[in-house]
Amino acid sequence: MLRQPLTRAIALSSPSRVAPLGARRYADAVPAQPEKVEVFIDDKPVYVPPGTTVLQAAAQVGVEIPRFCYHERLAVAGNCRMCLVEVEKSPKPVAACAMPVMKGMRVKTDSDLTKKAREGVMEFLLVNHPLDCPICDQGGECDLQDQSMAFGSDKSRFTDIHFSGKRAVEDKDVGPLIKTIMTRCIHCTRCIRFASEVAGVDDFGTTGRGSDMQVGTYVEKMFLSELSGNIIDLCPVGALTSKPYSFAARPWETRRIDSVDVLDPLGSNIVVTTRTNEVLRILPRTNEEINEEWLSDKSRFACDGLKRQRLVTPMLADSRGNLTPVEWEDAIVAAARAIQDCPPDKLLAVAGDLADAESLVALKDLVNRLGSENVYTERDFPLEGSGTDLRSSYLLNTKIANVEDADFVLLIGTNVRFEAPLLNARIRKAFIHKETDVAVIGPKIDLTYDYLHVGDSASVVKDLATGSSSHEVLKRLDAAKRPIVILGADQLKTQEGSALLAYTQELALRLQDKLQDKNWKVLNVLQRSAGAVAALDLGYRPGVATALAAQPRVVFLLGADGGVVTREQLPKDAFVIYQGHHGDVGASIADVVFAGAAYTEKRATYVNAEGRAQQTLPAVSPPGRARDDWKIIRALSEVVGERLPYNNLDEVRDRLGQISPALVSYGEVQDNNYFAQARALSKSLQKPVSGTLDVQLKQLEDFFMTDPISRASPTMAKCVQAVIKQKSSVY
Amino acid sequence: MAGALARVIQGTKSHLGLVGPLVNISNVPVRCQQTQAPPTKSQYGPLADSDRIFTNLYGRHDWRLKGALSRGDWYLTKDILLKGTDWIVNELKTSGLRGRGGAGFPTGMKWSFMNKPSDGRPKYLVVNADEGEPGTCKDREIMRHDPHKLVEGCLIAGRAMGACAAYIYIRGEFYNEASNLQVAIAEAYQAGLIGKNACGSGYDFDVFVHRGAGAYICGEETALIESIEGKQGKPRLKPPFPADVGLFGCPTTVNNVETIAVAPTICRRGGKWFASFGRPRNSGTKLFNISGHVNTPCTVEEEMSIPLKELIERHAGGVTGGWDNLLAIIPGGSSTPLIPKDVCTTAIMDFDGLVAAQTSLGTAAIIVMDKSTDIVKAIARLIMFYKHESCGQCTPCREGVSWMNKIIYRFVEGNASPKEIDMLWEISKQIEGHTICALGDGAAWPVQGLIRHFRPELERRMQEYAAANGPSKAERLY
Amino acid sequence: MLKVIARTANLAKTPLSRSLPAFSTCGARLSSSADPTSRREAPKLENETVLTLPEEAHQKNALESNITVPTKVDLTPVSGVPEEHIKTRRVRIYQPAKNAMQSGTNNIHHWEMEFDTRQRWENPLMGWTSTGDPLSNMKVQFSSPDEAIEHCEKNGWTWYLDVPKTEKPLKPKSYGINFSWNRRTRVSTK
Repeated sequence: MLRQPLTRAIALSSPSRVAPLGARRYADAVPAQPEKVEVFIDDKPVYVPPGTTVLQAAAQVGVEIPRFCYHERLAVAGNCRMCLVEVEKSPKPVAACAMPVMKGMRVKTDSDLTKKAREGVMEFLLVNHPLDCPICDQGGECDLQDQSMAFGSDKSRFTDIHFSGKRAVEDKDVGPLIKTIMTRCIHCTRCIRFASEVAGVDDFGTTGRGSDMQVGTYVEKMFLSELSGNIIDLCPVGALTSKPYSFAARPWETRRIDSVDVLDPLGSNIVVTTRTNEVLRILPRTNEEINEEWLSDKSRFACDGLKRQRLVTPMLADSRGNLTPVEWEDAIVAAARAIQDCPPDKLLAVAGDLADAESLVALKDLVNRLGSENVYTERDFPLEGSGTDLRSSYLLNTKIANVEDADFVLLIGTNVRFEAPLLNARIRKAFIHKETDVAVIGPKIDLTYDYLHVGDSASVVKDLATGSSSHEVLKRLDAAKRPIVILGADQLKTQEGSALLAYTQELALRLQDKLQDKNWKVLNVLQRSAGAVAALDLGYRPGVATALAAQPRVVFLLGADGGVVTREQLPKDAFVIYQGHHGDVGASIADVVFAGAAYTEKRATYVNAEGRAQQTLPAVSPPGRARDDWKIIRALSEVVGERLPYNNLDEVRDRLGQISPALVSYGEVQDNNYFAQARALSKSLQKPVSGTLDVQLKQLEDFFMTDPISRASPTMAKCVQAVIKQKSSVY
Repeated sequence: MAGALARVIQGTKSHLGLVGPLVNISNVPVRCQQTQAPPTKSQYGPLADSDRIFTNLYGRHDWRLKGALSRGDWYLTKDILLKGTDWIVNELKTSGLRGRGGAGFPTGMKWSFMNKPSDGRPKYLVVNADEGEPGTCKDREIMRHDPHKLVEGCLIAGRAMGACAAYIYIRGEFYNEASNLQVAIAEAYQAGLIGKNACGSGYDFDVFVHRGAGAYICGEETALIESIEGKQGKPRLKPPFPADVGLFGCPTTVNNVETIAVAPTICRRGGKWFASFGRPRNSGTKLFNISGHVNTPCTVEEEMSIPLKELIERHAGGVTGGWDNLLAIIPGGSSTPLIPKDVCTTAIMDFDGLVAAQTSLGTAAIIVMDKSTDIVKAIARLIMFYKHESCGQCTPCREGVSWMNKIIYRFVEGNASPKEIDMLWEISKQIEGHTICALGDGAAWPVQGLIRHFRPELERRMQEYAAANGPSKAERLY
Repeated sequence: MLKVIARTANLAKTPLSRSLPAFSTCGARLSSSADPTSRREAPKLENETVLTLPEEAHQKNALESNITVPTKVDLTPVSGVPEEHIKTRRVRIYQPAKNAMQSGTNNIHHWEMEFDTRQRWENPLMGWTSTGDPLSNMKVQFSSPDEAIEHCEKNGWTWYLDVPKTEKPLKPKSYGINFSWNRRTRVSTK
């Protein structure tokens, strides 16, 4: 016990502490940093840039000042008064969160005056806060609870002899995700600030004044945001709690497993909370380079889809074509027999959106060993030019964190808001804090910030690329010091995809060549799924349509639920093997079903849109007889007679590393090069384009159900219903 | 000295109309010479009619431009403007004028904060005409009877700080006042006194009137700024001060109506003239509002540092039932602590004098309460007012004032424990100084004044209640 | 590490702290600077000691003291952990993530090790969580990843390090920016 604080002190001073890598390079390239000022926090000197708040300066020396309204990613409000600290020579305590430091300022965070101020504020907060901790979902992870333990008084002085009670506030209905118990609200206004600053849906506010002040939406209205769940986290009390998770568990009875989200291409870092063998909820985990500390609603709330529509046992189609549960042995033997009977060129493997790198490599190795090269991704990508040979052609080269340093963003045929909500949050952050301007080529959509609409025709891209456009955007792009161009991968599935990509490359690289900052990357392609990049890295070929035209006899669907492969396209006697975790589109056309594991149930590698490999960790074990995906394929290979040369996960990952070291350098992302080569190869593809750019996800209701997990989620279904209902409302 | 001279030419109030035109710039050199070495005054007040700034305080004359011109307003305003920023600010500094809105910050210094090198942002003058403090009724008299003084003051103050426009935020309830003010502004525009090339000085200056919606908190300067911007009137933290980031994000100075309205006269008659009234650091004349249990409640312009008793006896006809019938006085509007009779007898009505009496000059709105007053209930009513007017933004005020309200209403009937008096004191101390704006302080002070001076009264009520009804429940619960 | 403890121990060497058992383990190390109150008289110094040159003294010291040779310590044969749980387990060394629901950071400044999750199930008797994994609750805290790694190596576990990406450059927050005149940071409501 005694060792703990001591060793911690050592750890903080020890140089051996691993410094987190990869701090953003482009952060505030102010030419000359103003001189730092010295301030004293509890007599500890600290040098901070002028303008830093007292609270931030204190954090620099490890002094945490209690706070409710202050949040480092939101604007300063300064209204909870919990952060009052004594400053020498100031008669009144000052709010540390808003007070800029002054030279030689002496802050006392532990003096009597400070303690008394905190105790007073704490007492006031509790005057009208209900004592319903036993039935409050925030209990156990409540800032108010913790801080009243640490800084509050030991007894109540609130003598309510007339039993007039505490303030009671009507609960608001803000949709199926957020449960409100507004009586618990302490008016920190974090949710209001989040909604107006980060989510960009300025629906929250306060009405009334004094002790009648209420936080709400004024008229009853759903919080129409794809990031709405974050206000649950932000709420320091139990006023906003998760509706799907309500009364489900206490934080101390759950286990938290750090993992990675796969429901959008960004690979947000998450914490999976489990009890027994059940995923209860998903919370964001801070990763400054990806999701900061936010999480999109789909990633957060679709986890109840993991308990429904699951494939819990292998299945085999019986004589009448109905899938019936069988033993693993039977399923694998049936599949192996079909594969063995199939000529290699008639064997086709198709990988879906949620396939992990391990199973992808195992499947590809198996198919290759059988003499076939037919491994395809469901999503399309042009193969002409450099195709998928150069990583830079299909990645988000700028990297998510750097997006907020951009000074001009051009979005081509992508609705970032719903395809990658947290990337959109970054763009919005740049829009607000760095005055970054945004232009969009594509349909008019609500991106939560103003943008310049350049048109929705593909020819606009051509005009911009060739420099023949007279549009203002071209001038803005040329003048920008750090422009970025983001092309939605959805646009690449059309006939004109290759030309569009070629023009985008031309435009982006022309801009990039002119930049002073030689490390700045302009070209970005935003993939739509978490598995896409790994599949392309591993050599899966896009464009399954051509392969289907060759009339394959055996089709192996690895989580391919996109509906690209249908029975109608296949010959009558084709044998379909589906491996995945949900009974969705793919399983419905299968002859054999292998029950796989979902992302919360396996240790698996996913590569996000930037090309950053990250691994999920098993939080629970796969349901029923479902198994780890790569193991199923490994077992199948044995029966087929082409035994794959890996027996455990480490060996699979060695194999991954052989193919591309980037696939196993977890957490890191490498810079991509070879832009010039890609550009040269794309020159010949610059054909006239005439199509219009359209996006698949236009409205909020389109956002919630995009993959097998979210389609199986009742919460997501409720969200769709609620959004449609809200849209028909007069507000 | 000035007082001595004033008494010589003192006339009846009906002479005021004659006195007005006499007040002109030619007086200045004479007076300056006379007050070259001001002897230390020992007696303050009464103010001579010739020294009154607000010569139409009671609306007996024409309030419109014609009448204002006849009273000396807009006289040589151009010359004042052309003397430039530094001259005006210096004159204000010499005059020792302190803000008339309650806090008493030296006006000259406040204006000089605006004279930083420009960073491209426009500057604004905001006039706080949101006179909501219970007991206070001085600004409305200026606006309805002497609006041109305010408009001219805006121009001069605006010139002094290089502002391009003035926003007059007028309380929503002041319908007639806003109307008169608007008329005055229109007249001034038409006469070329403000607007483009104001008074022919080559200086462009606009004046806008913004009517509030009647929230007391909008009288707080930053809340007022928010309100003009169209947001909820919730005070901002300081720093940044309005002189740095104010209205629409631009440097702004917020001044009280009275402060602005006296500025032209100070410039015309000289800062030294103004400084000759009152004690050092508390100089000038001031509008006092006397209300409550007096025979003739009134608003009157008087010299600063006049003894409270003299002020009441001379202008308000004395306390009803005589001075001995006095119970307590709230000397500066509802947010200042009350003072009991014995303190009142010696209290000097200026900033320092009332601080010495553990209260504050505030807006100089004197609320007189005689012995028929239920003092606890009076204070409780004030707390209820503050509870109702708290904006709800920051915790101590939002929660603390309504808590105090609950307790003090029990004190009214005595249904409380004597221990709760100390508790109430502590709560008021927990609010005071911990809030964003001064409303928290303003709500805490009346309670503190009550407990400081009337603790026996509180205890007596509790004993009486206990005798009649048995011990209070609070006794058991607390 | 030991040096730091020794330093801290010296600093805290008031009569009160002398009895602290935590520091008594490194007594040998501390004997040279032992508590002066335990000595009755001035130490006798050999002439030789006084006369030796500093280099010689250093050399002599080096010869007398023990030399520590870094060796790989393997506890697996004696630790009693079944081989299955040594060979097949994988240890994750990480810094605990901040709870997104709370703003406090006091309990996340250490490093932890945990084993890979194995099956857990709800116990039908009481509804508690059961597991067949003896290491499932072995979460050990360390002050630095080095210590955690050393611990894992000693016990023969395969480990890997997860470094959280939570550091970011200090950006001064400003209250005034909420009201700035020409920025998009202006907040409309609150």
